[in-house]
Amino acid sequence: MRTNLTSATAIALFLSLSTSAAHAEEVTAWRLFISDHADPKVTVIDAVDGGKLDTFKIKGPASLHRSESGRTVFAVQGSAGVVTGIASGISFEDHGEHGDIDVEAPKLAGLEITGKKPSHFVEHDGDFAAFFDGEGVARIISEKVVLEGKSDFREVKTDAPQHGVAVAYGSHVLLSEPNREKPDELPVGIRVADEAGAPIGGIHACPDLHGEASSGNILAFACATGLLVVSHGDGTPAIRHLPYADSLPDGKTTTLIGGRGLQYFLGNYGADKVVLIDPTLEGVAFRLISLPTRRVHFAVDPVRAKYAYIFTEDGQLHQLDVVKGEIANSLKLTDPYSMDGHWSEPRPRVAVAGDRIVVTDPLKGVLYLVDATSFEKTGDIAVEGKPFNIVSVGGSGQTHEGE
Amino acid sequence: MSRTLKLAAAMGVIASLPITPSVAAAENLKVVASFSIIADFAKNVGGDRVDIITLVGPNGDAHVYEPKPADAATVGSADVVLVNGLQFEGFLQRLVEASATKAPVVELTKGGEVLRNTEEEGHHDQDNAAKGEAGHAAEAEEGHEEGHHYHGESDPHAWQSVHNAELYVKNIADTFCAADAAGCDTYRANAESYGQQLEALEAEIKAAVAEIPEDKRTIITSHDAYGYFEHEYGIKFLAPEGVSTESEASAADVAALIKQIRQDKASAIFVENVTNPRLIEQIASETGLKIGGELYSDALSDENGPAATYLEMMRHNITAIKGAILGS
Ligand SMILES: [Zn+2]
Repeated sequence: MRTNLTSATAIALFLSLSTSAAHAEEVTAWRLFISDHADPKVTVIDAVDGGKLDTFKIKGPASLHRSESGRTVFAVQGSAGVVTGIASGISFEDHGEHGDIDVEAPKLAGLEITGKKPSHFVEHDGDFAAFFDGEGVARIISEKVVLEGKSDFREVKTDAPQHGVAVAYGSHVLLSEPNREKPDELPVGIRVADEAGAPIGGIHACPDLHGEASSGNILAFACATGLLVVSHGDGTPAIRHLPYADSLPDGKTTTLIGGRGLQYFLGNYGADKVVLIDPTLEGVAFRLISLPTRRVHFAVDPVRAKYAYIFTEDGQLHQLDVVKGEIANSLKLTDPYSMDGHWSEPRPRVAVAGDRIVVTDPLKGVLYLVDATSFEKTGDIAVEGKPFNIVSVGGSGQTHEGE
Repeated sequence: MSRTLKLAAAMGVIASLPITPSVAAAENLKVVASFSIIADFAKNVGGDRVDIITLVGPNGDAHVYEPKPADAATVGSADVVLVNGLQFEGFLQRLVEASATKAPVVELTKGGEVLRNTEEEGHHDQDNAAKGEAGHAAEAEEGHEEGHHYHGESDPHAWQSVHNAELYVKNIADTFCAADAAGCDTYRANAESYGQQLEALEAEIKAAVAEIPEDKRTIITSHDAYGYFEHEYGIKFLAPEGVSTESEASAADVAALIKQIRQDKASAIFVENVTNPRLIEQIASETGLKIGGELYSDALSDENGPAATYLEMMRHNITAIKGAILGS
């Protein structure tokens, strides 16, 4: 059954009218935003009832990013050379110790940032930095501006095109430094710049820089030699290098995600291993976990802080206990998706929507729903085309009369 | 009921149940203390019968602490977890959930008189993300008044009154007795003798305050950590930041404070060990107040510092306050 948004809002209003303002109604809403591997579109699905809410036509196949607040979803279309902003329609207003939820229809926010080969897209404290590899330029915009329907971005340039990354870090910008000798290779470090892009200090070496994530108040970049760990310094960002432990086998992290609720990082480490990282620990910062086969994708659980999920090429979803540092459960979901072949081929992706883990199966055109508590498959949702990248937005909050 | 309140209620229930001693006689009680001041109390009560691990160490700020997977493992293997409560440890609920601990999680402020910060605050939109995911907590205390939201936030810094410190100590002794009945006499005796030191401390603080002229008893610190001290001993504290260090003071807050300082004729200004001194330095230079030193608010100093224990911390603070005011 499909519940459209107008009626969902109406129900919420009705419920809150039937109770006093002091006893506001608790409303839960979750939305899945799914891009297609081949077609230029983003499909929006109501994760609560499985119904399709909308499909947005964009310019090219996209990778998706959701903002920390959940109010915005970005479709980064590398081949089409554009970043499109979508207002998720779900927002929370925090009143200190309780939160209000507001649910509206999702819509294109009106933001389009064009440029050559947009790639890495990073949010820090409500500022988004899209890096355009083909130009070596970062375009930075705040969520506030995006939601006002404007496209007023600022631009910070690096010296050369590169497969790079930028982070708008308060009144500073962190920029990847291109490899001058071998322009086709990965960046060699991070440079701190002021808001206008003027460099401050030297380069923080980070050979083969690829992979960035935040967890709590720490930001990290993955390098061939270890991690660059960024924290709030006195005036300027404090950056230190955390080398891989001697006990680790040869390898490096090239994809990094950050824990929510618990502060940690999870990175790939070779094709069939992952590494749990606590950058605040000296000596024992890294815990290596072997997977049964090669890793396809991973995601942290923002609700149950103890767990992260890893999908492997044998079609299994694994529940990683980040406290114990071991795989607690595994669940076969799809046919095998071999990691042979190009990295960008259609393969499953994982997202967490409240109490459900959602896994895309692009070749079958299906999303699988897994109950996060029982770790059992509870259903699936058919999606036209090749559902590929997925992000979820939502939560629970109160709706008040007259607000 | 909010998840936080449910959890708090659950903790209260667990804590009040008789606990089957899970510790062999020869083995020490494994105690986790959420922050350094509680760890010091626990050490004084537990003596050599307990092993204490502190989550937020010396000079650490528990308001904004980010728990690590290793902390969850620590809590998971504890016999007893001692916390302040009153939402001081913003990380507590997610840490306890992640740890799946079976140990009682005891709020040491329970049974005490709670001060509330009734100041109106702006909307804090910046930390929506965690809420959106972790579920929005419905807060029973929150009320509407003239169309505004008033938080009526609990002030968690109860230890700043020595009178309350005695309550922490009593609650710790009760908890240790429940978890380790064989050691109960020792815990009670330790609590008794430490209680005498607390009483002596309180008398010293009151005597020191009495020497400060009444019209000079207004001072400035970084955040509202001294409500209980003010309530108990009659020194008025003003601060640019609220009862939590989580949200930064706005420029308007700072301007209002500077105006207030001039009107109230504040006698001294202090940096705190758990917060960045920058803002206080700025206010000091704008108002001409000289910084009177460093006060210890939400954490002890390290072993070599002037506030390595609670008793030292409180003596250091009142000495610094009195010195700065009378020296000004
Ligand atoms: Zn505090």
